[in-house]
Amino acid sequence: MKLLHLYYDIMNLYGDYANISAVKRMLEKSGEEVAVDKLSLSDEVTLSDYDFIFIGSGTEKNQKVVLKDIVKYKDALKDYIESGKVLLMTGNSFELLGDLITDGQGKEHRGLGYFKYETIEKSGVRMTSDIICTASFLDRPLVGFINKSSVIFGINDTLFHTQFGIGNSDDDKTEGIRYKNYFGTHLTGPVLMKNPHFLTYITALILGREPEAAHLTYEQKGYETTLRKLSERAQG
Amino acid sequence: MKKFLTILICKLLRFVGKLIGKGSSMPGQVALKLCPDILKRMELPRYIIAITGSNGKTSTVEMIAHILTRAGKSVAWNREGSNQIEGVTTMVLSNATLSGKVKSDILLIESDERYARKTFSYINVTDYVITNLYRDQLTRNGHPEFVFDAIADSVHDGTRLILNADDPLVSVFGHDRENVVWFGADELSTDTKELDSVYNDGAYCPICKAPMFYTTHHYNHIGHYRCTACGYHREDTDFTITSVDMKKGELEINGKYHISLALKSLYNIYNILAAFTVASLVGIDGEKIAREMNDYVLKNGRVINFKLGSRKGTLLTSKHENSVSYDHSLRVACACEGGCDVLIIVDAISRKYFTGDVSWLWDIDFEMLGDDNIHEIVLAGTYVNDLAARFSYTDIPKDKIRLYESIDDAVGYLDSGRKEYIYAITCFSDKDKFLADVEEV
Repeated sequence: MKLLHLYYDIMNLYGDYANISAVKRMLEKSGEEVAVDKLSLSDEVTLSDYDFIFIGSGTEKNQKVVLKDIVKYKDALKDYIESGKVLLMTGNSFELLGDLITDGQGKEHRGLGYFKYETIEKSGVRMTSDIICTASFLDRPLVGFINKSSVIFGINDTLFHTQFGIGNSDDDKTEGIRYKNYFGTHLTGPVLMKNPHFLTYITALILGREPEAAHLTYEQKGYETTLRKLSERAQG
Repeated sequence: MKKFLTILICKLLRFVGKLIGKGSSMPGQVALKLCPDILKRMELPRYIIAITGSNGKTSTVEMIAHILTRAGKSVAWNREGSNQIEGVTTMVLSNATLSGKVKSDILLIESDERYARKTFSYINVTDYVITNLYRDQLTRNGHPEFVFDAIADSVHDGTRLILNADDPLVSVFGHDRENVVWFGADELSTDTKELDSVYNDGAYCPICKAPMFYTTHHYNHIGHYRCTACGYHREDTDFTITSVDMKKGELEINGKYHISLALKSLYNIYNILAAFTVASLVGIDGEKIAREMNDYVLKNGRVINFKLGSRKGTLLTSKHENSVSYDHSLRVACACEGGCDVLIIVDAISRKYFTGDVSWLWDIDFEMLGDDNIHEIVLAGTYVNDLAARFSYTDIPKDKIRLYESIDDAVGYLDSGRKEYIYAITCFSDKDKFLADVEEV
């Protein structure tokens, strides 16, 4: 199987690369041969060659640099998503697929426009928060962290519901977007490593069958610890 | 009258606070309530030196204060490390007469990078050192470019900037600017041609975002760089580490001043260089500075030697949520001749705020602990499983690693028949739990 870590060296602020590492290992444990390509701005990629594509979070400036570049995949990435293949975008990378990003200086940047959502960045503001959230397709909550300068409006198909922490916009308890097997979330960093059940779910979609999950002992215990710590915090 | 009263009250609160062991922020906080622009109303000395940046602020300020004091200057500085406007206010007012004149020759301010703008909207800094911009406490600070913008708002036109030329993110502050003093290191024997770390914050030009090219890497994104498109490049330096000898534990500045290092590592060399630069600019002779810096042991408790039963070791206080700080400490351990054991504790991620975020573990280059000098690795604390998961993605053999959720149990294990030197690596938030179990020497 082929995995693509796209914009690996410019959208990588919070250890996001670990998501690719986690999927790779799980596929290998499930008996697959796996190749990972780490590619970036100057590369030309045939997206349809891949079974899983991941893009992580970047600074607001770097996101705009990537926006200029990703336009070259406008049709290919749309086809990839419509075909039902798995795409995970964490942090501000998933803002790229919406209609519009307005930056902190008020300048408007057109997104790829696959979806109707709009992002507004706030100059000099950082919104950070530990997160507990739920997903309709998972039987246990997820844990994570959000670290952003922006709010997003206009998402209909939410990925998560936040129980503790911030969501897509100020008073919004919805977080991220799901369309077919495109998962976009402002949860940053190694989301899949921190949530072994989410990792298993994603890998099953890539694989088309239940993956091997017995190796996730540390990840599972780490998840339980963080969930306990955040739950204590949430209850004050 | 308001000024007089504010200073008086601040001094009294400070006096009482010291008696009952209270921190140094509160008196300044009260003073700012009484008179919000009190800092502006003070009569400040000729030299107002400020230090900010991600890492090394406290150590640099301590060493500058040491050199200047030994050279006969009187220095007012925030030695307790309260580095936001409240702490700075306490320090300035405590060192002033009741009429508002700061009595020292030099005012030396360590400033938090996020909130420097606030402090320096009232104080006109004459010399402003910016050490580096790293991924540091990102759960609070967002990312280095966000911190860059915050610092930029605190820089005044007339200020002389003293910048780390080897950090491309910091050097932007001196781009197209007069009145900059640059410090940095020549190509060193410890350098690498290819970058040896998990990520590279110098991969793209901070100005035009084209790819950058490095002729040499000191560590992480620190080195000699040039943008392939706009020509942005590392500046020639005024104060320079011309060589390091890690066997001898010595560094050379400007080709003639030799300073022996208390810790044989790159750990502190930029802080020493920044202190050397500032002291030189104030007019202290280079020979004298070098003498004062020889084998200088930091008093801020970042490096503590200890005994555990028959074993000896060193605690390297490293910052959680700061991969460069961890990488430095890991390099110290790897350089240990004769081999050592390493203890890593992640129990409370911060002492100042709550977070459960451990994504920063994935940015640390733990792979280097595969070095033959490292015999056993003991991981401990609440987040031991996250550490273990991280280590499972290195090539380090599993049988080299021990896991303990309890710090006491981890120390109990180390207090055994083994003879290796121990490096304990953890943060301010967790180090006291460890120190309670060992004997400081």
